[in-house]
Amino acid sequence: MSVGENSLPPEPADALAAVVALRRLADQLEDAAVEQAMRAGWSWPQVSEALGVTRQAVHKKHAKRLIAAGVKLRRRGDERV
Amino acid sequence: MSAFDKYLHAVIVRAMDEAQDDGSATIDAHHLLLSLAADQGSTAQQVLTSAGLDRATVREALDREFEHSLSMVGVSPAAYGLPGPSHASQQPKMGASARLALERSFACARKKDLRSAHLLLGILQAQFGTVPRALALAGIDQAELEDHVRQTLTSQE
Repeated sequence: MSVGENSLPPEPADALAAVVALRRLADQLEDAAVEQAMRAGWSWPQVSEALGVTRQAVHKKHAKRLIAAGVKLRRRGDERV
Repeated sequence: MSAFDKYLHAVIVRAMDEAQDDGSATIDAHHLLLSLAADQGSTAQQVLTSAGLDRATVREALDREFEHSLSMVGVSPAAYGLPGPSHASQQPKMGASARLALERSFACARKKDLRSAHLLLGILQAQFGTVPRALALAGIDQAELEDHVRQTLTSQE
């Protein structure tokens, strides 16, 4: 999907609301994608590199939630060489 | 702590739960609205009910607004088949829209005269954003609802 000049909603209120909704959708997608990766055995450094954010940021945002969801997280010592 | 302070605290705590259920990092104006709509027995809740708005209908209107706004740029949330938002792990912080709603509420009356209806009034004074759009989609006349709240406040004095 491209948001070129042609597809920008004509009403500013609609365009701005779309930004808000897309941010929320992106957050939901991030939650689901990070959980999927961690369930598949990805490590924090791998997920953070894939997302292009720091390891601390990903950890801070998702660790508690994933632990609460019962996801087994790989620890630093488990890194495969 | 005054009765209103206690009431306000309860409203904000409930709004925080709504934000958390939403997977939102911030408490937004629409979370305050959900909180007021769920608050059994307050004037704000009674006014909302008289307009056909309970917590479930507000939630429904917000979901519609989300889908509608995404459709404006050709995106369908259903296309992703995402699981519902997971509980946010960090405690949501007060967001800009909620702050603005509260500031407007507090500007309506002297501190000792503040009531639940002032909180609703502060939320309904928003011209733009999720709340006005959701109300419009639910077929609610926001100005009329605002008038109704003002009338309630005058009759209480």
